[in-house]
Amino acid sequence: MDELELLKKDWQKNNNTFEKKSSSDLYAMLHKKSSSLVKKLFYISIAELIFLISVNVLPFVFSKSYRQHFNKVYNDSLLNQSIEVLSYVVIILFVILLFRSYKSITVVDDTKKLMKSILRTRKIVKYYVLYNLTFIVILVPYFMYKAIKTNSSEIDLEHLTNFQILKLIGGIFLFTLLFAGVVWFIYNLIYGIILRRLNRNYKELKKMEV
Amino acid sequence: MDKPSEHNFVELLEKHQNIVHKVCRLYTNNYDAHNDLFQEITIQLWKAFPKFRGDSKFTTWMYRVGLNTAITLYRKSKRRIKTQEFDAIQFKISAEEYDSTEEEQLKLMYQAVHQLNDIEKALVFLYLEDKDYREISETLGISEVNARVKMNRVKKKLKTILNP
Repeated sequence: MDELELLKKDWQKNNNTFEKKSSSDLYAMLHKKSSSLVKKLFYISIAELIFLISVNVLPFVFSKSYRQHFNKVYNDSLLNQSIEVLSYVVIILFVILLFRSYKSITVVDDTKKLMKSILRTRKIVKYYVLYNLTFIVILVPYFMYKAIKTNSSEIDLEHLTNFQILKLIGGIFLFTLLFAGVVWFIYNLIYGIILRRLNRNYKELKKMEV
Repeated sequence: MDKPSEHNFVELLEKHQNIVHKVCRLYTNNYDAHNDLFQEITIQLWKAFPKFRGDSKFTTWMYRVGLNTAITLYRKSKRRIKTQEFDAIQFKISAEEYDSTEEEQLKLMYQAVHQLNDIEKALVFLYLEDKDYREISETLGISEVNARVKMNRVKKKLKTILNP
């Protein structure tokens, strides 16, 4: 293609037409803050992690009345203790996986490998969020049912018909599912926007291998 | 901070800064965006410098980090780029040296290249820099055969853009 050869000639000819950066300019740049995608994603992941842990743990730690109420409602169950242990194990596992994955991202890899490691790291956070939402969908109806049963002064479960109980559980379950669905949708929308360019470029590279 | 290493890095970067400028030229279209990307590539190069062991050439390593930053890590700022601005930057450079037909051809070519997607631009960039297909494939992480096939497709695509 003649035009491309012409462009190549021009391109190579124009080597010295750039505004040269002095060594002092370059020294200054070394100490500026990076605004890279990986750094942004890392901060978002940390924020997500802190948020989820805070929601789960902080009210329990800082509010005496919440703790007392929680213990009153749920203290007897082996299931509750198992869930608590499982939650901590998952958090620790997730933190280890996340940091290992972030450390494996290096700009000196080839482009495809770099993109793959960023997307893999995002997947880890995605799975953690999915795990939390699944837990919410399964456990919130259960905990709400237990809470209602404990505070039976407000709703008299004894006198509800089976159909009414079924309706109550169904309502709680649907509400939880809807809530989780909306959170999941917003989550994917945000990451869809942030990672749109990366996903597009990764697909383009993958397409070349077919 | 390891001062001799910083000094060493700046010295190398100052000497080979054209590579970074060229990546910026291809992936940005205005002065501010060019400088933003230049800065981000410099930061990424510096961060990765301890991993540079010298078993490849510094320039080869720069191509890789520069392209990776432009394609993957750099988030375009809100300063949206206008093609006209891009043309103005490009053609201040070469207009004086060519006759008007060549100048026009070049202008159209630069515009066409700018319409390519990020990966296609990377292929064209490495081609313009006279890199062989082995180096192109190693930089992008695709096979040599696929790099060759894709480059041919890009040439066809450029032809279509130029002669719709």
